[in-house]
Amino acid sequence: MVKLATRQLVIDIPARADGVPIDLDLCAGQVWGVLGPNGAGKTTLLHTLAGLREPRRGEVLLDGKPLPSLRRRSVARQLAVIFQDRQDSFPSTVLETAMIGRHPFLAPWDIETAEDVELARNALHRLQLDGLDNRQVSTLSGGERQRLAVATALTQTPRIWLADEPTNHLDLRYQVAVMGLMAEQAAAGRAVLVCLHDINLAARWCDHLLLLYPDGGACWGEAGAMLVPEALERLYGQPLTAAQVNGTRVFVPREVG
Amino acid sequence: MQGRCAAGLLVCLLGLVSPAVFSGESGPCVVDDAERRVCLQAPARRIVSLSPGATELLFAAGAGEWIEGTVRYSDYPAAAKRIPRVGTHSRFDIEKLLALSPDLVVAWISGNPAEQVERLQALGMTVYYSEPRRFEDVSSTLERLGLLAGTTDVARTAIAEFNAAIDELEARYRDADPVPIFYQIWDDPLMTVNDSHLISQAIELCGGRNVFGAADRLVPRLDRESVLAAAPEAIVAGGMGEDDTGWLEAWERFPGFTAVRRGNLFFVPPSYIQRPTPRVAEGSRILCEHLETARGRR
Amino acid sequence: MPRLFPPLLLLAGIAVAAMLLAVAVGSVSIPVAGLWAVVQGDGDQLHRTVVLELRVPRVLAAFATGGLLAVAGALMQVLLRNPLADPYVLGLSGGAAVGALSAMLLGLGAVMVPGSAFAGALVSTVLVFGIAHGTGSWTPTRLLLTGVVVAAGWGAVVTFMLVIGPTERIPGMLYWLMGDLAYARSPWPAMFVLALACLLIMPLGRSLNVLARGPLQAATLGVAVRPLEWSVYVAASVLTAAAVTTAGAIGFVGLIVPHMLRLLIGSDQRLILPASALAGGTLLVLADTLARTLIAPEQLPVGVITALLGVPTFLYLLYRSR
Repeated sequence: MVKLATRQLVIDIPARADGVPIDLDLCAGQVWGVLGPNGAGKTTLLHTLAGLREPRRGEVLLDGKPLPSLRRRSVARQLAVIFQDRQDSFPSTVLETAMIGRHPFLAPWDIETAEDVELARNALHRLQLDGLDNRQVSTLSGGERQRLAVATALTQTPRIWLADEPTNHLDLRYQVAVMGLMAEQAAAGRAVLVCLHDINLAARWCDHLLLLYPDGGACWGEAGAMLVPEALERLYGQPLTAAQVNGTRVFVPREVG
Repeated sequence: MQGRCAAGLLVCLLGLVSPAVFSGESGPCVVDDAERRVCLQAPARRIVSLSPGATELLFAAGAGEWIEGTVRYSDYPAAAKRIPRVGTHSRFDIEKLLALSPDLVVAWISGNPAEQVERLQALGMTVYYSEPRRFEDVSSTLERLGLLAGTTDVARTAIAEFNAAIDELEARYRDADPVPIFYQIWDDPLMTVNDSHLISQAIELCGGRNVFGAADRLVPRLDRESVLAAAPEAIVAGGMGEDDTGWLEAWERFPGFTAVRRGNLFFVPPSYIQRPTPRVAEGSRILCEHLETARGRR
Repeated sequence: MPRLFPPLLLLAGIAVAAMLLAVAVGSVSIPVAGLWAVVQGDGDQLHRTVVLELRVPRVLAAFATGGLLAVAGALMQVLLRNPLADPYVLGLSGGAAVGALSAMLLGLGAVMVPGSAFAGALVSTVLVFGIAHGTGSWTPTRLLLTGVVVAAGWGAVVTFMLVIGPTERIPGMLYWLMGDLAYARSPWPAMFVLALACLLIMPLGRSLNVLARGPLQAATLGVAVRPLEWSVYVAASVLTAAAVTTAGAIGFVGLIVPHMLRLLIGSDQRLILPASALAGGTLLVLADTLARTLIAPEQLPVGVITALLGVPTFLYLLYRSR
């Protein structure tokens, strides 16, 4: 039951060598974490997987069909993206923003039904944004906006989640809540891929990992196999100490003596 | 426009073949300055004039008492000031004009907006397009307006007076020594006229020579330097009003300049010479006297 | 969402009231009984001509022009995701002005002026879009900057034409530049374009809402971004060209009307686009009524009134909003 797959994929980062072509299968029920230092191409990879950017080589397949051969609308019915940056040039309310998640499901003349509103309200509730329906997005805090972006994706009811640093701006409690939501989605038969900069979140919530190196190198596989201090130290260029807390591996930076 | 001309031509041709076609027409017919035939059922009794010049010409042609509406700056003769206004020559109130239900509208080709005049025609008004550019045009316009208003006698008397005045000036200055002059019609920016303009015709009549007569444009814009370089013997200017000589004072800061050294800075009341009306004869007379004065200062 | 309809009904009501007012007032004072007689198909001949041949076409032309400009402005603002965008800022009206003034300068006659204005607007569109596109892809900032610079260029050409133009043609040219509905020949072409645009663009309202949140977000929500952006740009250009062709260069409507509406009723494009058509039309109908009656029989250019009415209203709303 493969959902999103890459075949010999080389993402297009200007002035970088091709590196290792990526062949990964993002399947229902899996949570993939993408780790890598700044500039390794995590966001570019995510945009390429979503079909928003042309790859340099190779292809991305959605249920076996190359992405460019599919209509954007049918892709949007299956795949949601949470971006790091959002533009709000024009004022809009929290509910209006969540409701745009229903766009792929509505014909041009359609007006959102009570059911759509219900979906949006539930999503807002899930992200603990109830009661803010009519607030202007511009008056929200950074963390509230981040949760609103997650709620918008939830309203889109995707089978595949692609999330770029979904825990940005969030305090610990909401980091856990959002990652918990991702895991819950995977458990419900959806596929999730998240770019993260926090190894410990990845270690706690992801079952598969993709490590992206700044020189284009990459390795991927089950989380247990990837979470070895040597690989991660090489990835970040930072000595690490590993420990075991409640059955989860934890990595902390080590002082270089 | 083309369709209308063709139709007019057709009417003319038919007219030549069988005069009976025109038997229904009892009123006057003339050809206006846009080469259109303008015909009335009866002499015009409710006239609207769309330029100060046309108002003056209508009065001179004897039709002044029938002008029901005119535009801003229609100030001559004194009776013109009491005529109701319908706006300015560049934008008039069509509704107001319609309410006057005129039987003749005298329009100004280069001064009125074409769209508005066309709208008047579309509303069924009879429009006479006027654009006098030479002394001869003043006479012929008087003749035609007199015909349309049924005041041919008054118009012909005015024409005779006008022509006599012009002829007299012509005779007196025919052999006079040429005086190079600069005629200033506006101050900022500095503007003059070329030989296609009525003012230049007046200058020629007086034995003067317009130093910018050969310029390309009817109303060229200049800088002071080019006027100094043209070295006119006299400078003649209008002004912001009928007795405003302020523009001439600006030249006095060039005392080495021939026209200034000899004191040949002359004023002509602008409405006497800038409007193509019978008063241009009087304006020309004033101009001629100034040039004669300049000759005396050589 | 049924809450779309009350504001639109209210705006439509105001628009109808404004048009009735505009038909009722003018230099010729017509009593209500006289107006009613005209409506019923008889009445005084003068009243009939004034109402049916002068006021009604002019009011319709004013409404259509205002609606076109406001919708074009709203579209441009979404396209560039910049509230400062409007057809004037982007050089469309500059191109139209150069086209129209060329026709006037060459003495091509009043019939050719609208056609040249239309051609000028479209040339400017292609120029701005082509240059902004360049060898790579365009971004809103690049498009806006190109538009502003091209507009400045057209401005210089207009000034040059005014300087070299024959003195007797200057007043007509200036009136055209300030915008004036006395130029409107028939309201029907503009009305037709407005109605067609509303029909074609309104279904895109929700897509535009999504587009307003950025091209990437829009693409992930199933919007074909590039085709949509092209359609919006072409539509805004045609709308502007039709407006400028009808009544010359009237400023401020495209910038101010969508903004006022956003401050009052939010920024859902499904509401903003039809509301812009109604409110823009209403603003111009009222402005034109003032222009032809304020110092009658002398006539003011309507562009002066839209600015005098629009600017303080806009500033007040902006001041109050924060």
